[in-house]
Amino acid sequence: MADKTILVIDDDIDLVEIIRVTLENQGYRVIDAQNGERGLELARDQAPDLILLDVMMGTIDEGFQVAYQLRSDAGTRDIPILMLTAVGDQTGFAFDPGKDQDFLPVDEFLEKPVSPRRLVDLVRKHLPTSI
Amino acid sequence: MEQMAAISPDSSHFVSAASLRVRLDWFNKLRWGAAGTLLAAVLLIGLLAGIPLPVVPLLTAAGVLAALNAIYVARNRRVPPTDIRAEIRLVKAQMTGDLILLTIILNLTGGVENPLLYVYVIHVIIAALLFKGREIFSIAWLAIGLFTAKVAGEYLGLLPHHHLLGASDLTHELPFILVTLASFWFVLLFSAYMGAVIMRHNRAIKDELVRRQRLLIEADRAKLEFYRYVAHEVKSPVATAQSAVEAALELGGDALPPQVDDLLTRAVGRLEQAASIVRNLADLTRSGLLAPENLRPVNVTALAAKVVDDFRELAARDGQTVELEAPAVPVVITTSESMLGKVVTNLLSNAVRYNREGGRVRLCLADQGDTIRITVADEGIGIEPDDRERIFDEFYRSPAAQAKSGLGTGLGLPIVRRFVTDLGGAVAVDSRPGEGAVFAVTLPRRPGGGAAREAT
Repeated sequence: MADKTILVIDDDIDLVEIIRVTLENQGYRVIDAQNGERGLELARDQAPDLILLDVMMGTIDEGFQVAYQLRSDAGTRDIPILMLTAVGDQTGFAFDPGKDQDFLPVDEFLEKPVSPRRLVDLVRKHLPTSI
Repeated sequence: MEQMAAISPDSSHFVSAASLRVRLDWFNKLRWGAAGTLLAAVLLIGLLAGIPLPVVPLLTAAGVLAALNAIYVARNRRVPPTDIRAEIRLVKAQMTGDLILLTIILNLTGGVENPLLYVYVIHVIIAALLFKGREIFSIAWLAIGLFTAKVAGEYLGLLPHHHLLGASDLTHELPFILVTLASFWFVLLFSAYMGAVIMRHNRAIKDELVRRQRLLIEADRAKLEFYRYVAHEVKSPVATAQSAVEAALELGGDALPPQVDDLLTRAVGRLEQAASIVRNLADLTRSGLLAPENLRPVNVTALAAKVVDDFRELAARDGQTVELEAPAVPVVITTSESMLGKVVTNLLSNAVRYNREGGRVRLCLADQGDTIRITVADEGIGIEPDDRERIFDEFYRSPAAQAKSGLGTGLGLPIVRRFVTDLGGAVAVDSRPGEGAVFAVTLPRRPGGGAAREAT
């Protein structure tokens, strides 16, 4: 378990720190990126075991663009993605995560505010256990 | 609103051919009445009372009036009201025809001797209802011209004269004619003037109302825009702060000094409250943004059953029961599922929150044909008559509600009202303070045309 690396892609530095402290406390290694471009780089170079991705960074759907690119690259295709979303976003109005999940390239949505307990539960659920 | 801005022909009060047509249809009915009355009067007075009237010419006049009216009616049925200028031209032609016919009928029934000459005033009043200043006077002058010419023609022997009721021949009594003409001119011109003044005043009031209505709508939009901005800006900091405090509590675990644990727990509670306000503000600002493509058939019975289930546990903590009453056949309407879900959720949430311990909450669903009705009744604190409108104002919470529960954002009912209005429905409240409240939402089977898009 100590070897598992989790990549957090989010431009909210404070939230990244909260997630880092929570996950490191559980024995995971956490790396982070503040934008999608850097996140894609890290995903390719470091081959993390799971990615936490914020839906809305610079643009309204930057998170989705990143997710699609991760899925289209053979090297990162199989990494589980948890997507962080905020309730009541304009995006929340345009799509309904519950219904459109099948068409989206992410494994699960995690609504903000991120509850540490739920975060840990979901990370455990989606981490590959085969190793 | 856009329609009001359309160019109105300067000569008429009306801005659309359709609204003018409504009046024209009404005038057509009036004309049928006039022809019928003339027919009846001729038969009654001329034949039964034995007063010598030129029956055939008068019946011909009634026939011509009826025939013309039949043509007008047929034309209106065939031609849709689209071109306002064409409609106005038609009205003017019709009124001219009416005035000429009236003059002929008067000529056949005593002329200057007949007090019915003031029927001309009716035409001037109708002109005032339809037209602005100068056009009203042109109708008045036309009436004056026709009548004066007729009297002059009779006086000079150019027109035949038909005595009324065997009266002595007043047609050649110059003083009588002059006094009659003077008073006729005065009454018609004065009617035209007053009509113009009253209608101008009326129009100014209407314009002012439209202007104020527009300002109100703009102010409301600006308010929603501000709420949207606040919700968007505050959402992330609140969510992150909430996560931080929860993470701190989690990390500290049992090692946290009890006082620190207590303070952090309080912070979590208050942050949850702030988050709830932000969530509700974000919901509120969805109002007015409903697009037709978000409308689809929604099984309201299933939706209501789900929301009722969601609240059972919360209600049971307080010994309350939640019941659903719905027709055996599922009620399905075309609407926005997410907005309707929010409406029902907010109403049930309030009902449970303000209910008495062990009280009952009932959600009733009724199919009323073109509309459906959702009522949510509780047995709680109720709402004072003075508060029944204010509870729909953003952030207002009645003193009784504040005393009963510290929770509540004061945004639940404003959301209900705005969403229901967006969906083409209405919400009403009835209550006996201290005994409970009933909220009734009426929704159409399908929001009508453009009404759903703009709340204007």
